[in-house]
Amino acid sequence: MSAIFIAIVAFGLFGAAVFLSGFVVAVRETIRERRDGEPEREWVDKGRYGWSALFAVFASAVVIALAGVSPLWIYAGPLLAIVTATGVGVAFFVGSDKRAATPALDRS
Amino acid sequence: MDKSILSLTAGLSPALGFATMIGLGLFLLILSFAIKTVLVRNTHDFIIADRKVGFGFGVGSVIAVWTWAMAVMMSSAMTFRWGLSGLFWFVVPNGFAVMAMIPFARILRRNMPQGYTISEFVRHRFRRSRVASGIVTVTMIFGILLEILINLKGTSVVISTVFSIDWKVAAVVGIVCVLTYSYFGGLWTSVMTGTLNTLMVTVPAAIVVAAVYEHVSGGAAAVFAAADAADPRNLSVLRPDAAAGFGITLAFGLLAATVADQTFWQKVWAIKGPEVARTFFWAGALFYPIPICLGMLGLVGIAFGLSTADIGGDLAAVGPYIVSHIGLPLFLVILYVLAILAACYSTIDGASAALSSIVAVDVVKRYWPETREGALFLVTKLSILVGGAAATAIVLSGIDFTTLVLTTYALKTSILLPLVLAILWPRTNTIGFVGGVVLAILIGMPIYETQGELIGTLSIVAISGLTVLAAGFFGGERFDVSTLRRTADVVIADSAGVPIAEPAE
Repeated sequence: MSAIFIAIVAFGLFGAAVFLSGFVVAVRETIRERRDGEPEREWVDKGRYGWSALFAVFASAVVIALAGVSPLWIYAGPLLAIVTATGVGVAFFVGSDKRAATPALDRS
Repeated sequence: MDKSILSLTAGLSPALGFATMIGLGLFLLILSFAIKTVLVRNTHDFIIADRKVGFGFGVGSVIAVWTWAMAVMMSSAMTFRWGLSGLFWFVVPNGFAVMAMIPFARILRRNMPQGYTISEFVRHRFRRSRVASGIVTVTMIFGILLEILINLKGTSVVISTVFSIDWKVAAVVGIVCVLTYSYFGGLWTSVMTGTLNTLMVTVPAAIVVAAVYEHVSGGAAAVFAAADAADPRNLSVLRPDAAAGFGITLAFGLLAATVADQTFWQKVWAIKGPEVARTFFWAGALFYPIPICLGMLGLVGIAFGLSTADIGGDLAAVGPYIVSHIGLPLFLVILYVLAILAACYSTIDGASAALSSIVAVDVVKRYWPETREGALFLVTKLSILVGGAAATAIVLSGIDFTTLVLTTYALKTSILLPLVLAILWPRTNTIGFVGGVVLAILIGMPIYETQGELIGTLSIVAISGLTVLAAGFFGGERFDVSTLRRTADVVIADSAGVPIAEPAE
């Protein structure tokens, strides 16, 4: 087995662990929110995603182009797929943190 | 590289194929039953998840519904057909299409916080125009049927290629597995099982693709050299024939597939308001690696000099063929099949959930507003079974569903700009919206038929958009977006039997 294959398997297991632990946290939080029955409040979303989205589009194009430059870049696809799993796992925690950071009075 | 060394991995029996399909279905059924018990109490929960889908589940489930059989199998197929240019044109617009939802999702989620469906928005936006909302409802239903069809076909391609099971039997077993678990929990089930399916697609796909390269003598360097030797254009992303052949048309089609698709709008209204925009950004960006990863199997197909005939005549089968013939251990082949099945199941499940919201809000509540909660809940759930059965019947009939594909394509592409303008431009009016869609179909489709996909698609988009703009400039009316706030949640009565379906306004 090559070093890159071993690295992908190890990284994959790590990504799966992050994903599953985040999943469990999010399921618990969802059940708790369901029991609370709190209605949705007024909200404001000031996030700006235009440049970030363009960067993501550009980055994907570059990664595909690089696969035609050197064979090593062929492995970028599998590695990034694991980043996707890890990213969703992180998203569970990010969503959870946001709620935890809301002042208790606001949540009541 | 000599393709004669490729042979089917031993042990891939039909029984194992059935066990894989049914096993995944049973696992998801148990999960959905648990979800239903805890989270689903009424129609509102079933079709909109009480608007409490959090950030993580939002990201995971949007990736899951967008990871069609197309993304997992056609990425390999397009690379196999066009080299890296095929992958480039297939992948780049794909993630962008998800992120393109952000401005529209943000506007509607904020201004119509109690919305359920995009047809419902069109009805309120155009003064209850039955024609305008009817066009959108029909388009959404056609789109959903097509999603189910394509993914059912994807399921049958992978199962018949790997396990030598008759594709019709595979399609029936696949749809039964999905519908059985979709029936129970609606959107909550779709969101949670879909999110888990995202894990099942990503990590296994990464390991399997790396293992495929591990099993090629000489590894990635040998594949790279062989693909280059076959045709240096295989390693370039700049082939103009790939762009003209399918890339530009696909880009418009993909935009229509998100912006004009209830599967995504249902998510918009189900995800917590402040998280909607961020969810679609993360989902779009994190989606990219999936087709990039699986697309690399197409390069292996090129390196071995495979022909379409070698893989059974269907380009989409190149990925399953390579994985099942290159000598991987049995468990890795099963892992790959599970990844493909997870993608197909989650998309069919998501489409079914979207169909249930249309039936509940745009059909039952609209035409029979006095329907009681018990009956509404039952009809909503049954619609999932009916939609799945209809799609399966079309697949099994063996009829060429080109007509359905073309009709859905025409409707979705025609609706794209009018819908975008209806959300963004207050001067968009009913005449412009309906006229734009109708003229785009009447004039644009013949152009599409005679002049080809590229010119046809551009014509459809231009005709629909210009008609809306012209009608808007001459019409002079302005829509007050604040009126959208008058929509309300489906009112859920207690079990006393009081009619629950209060009018939505």
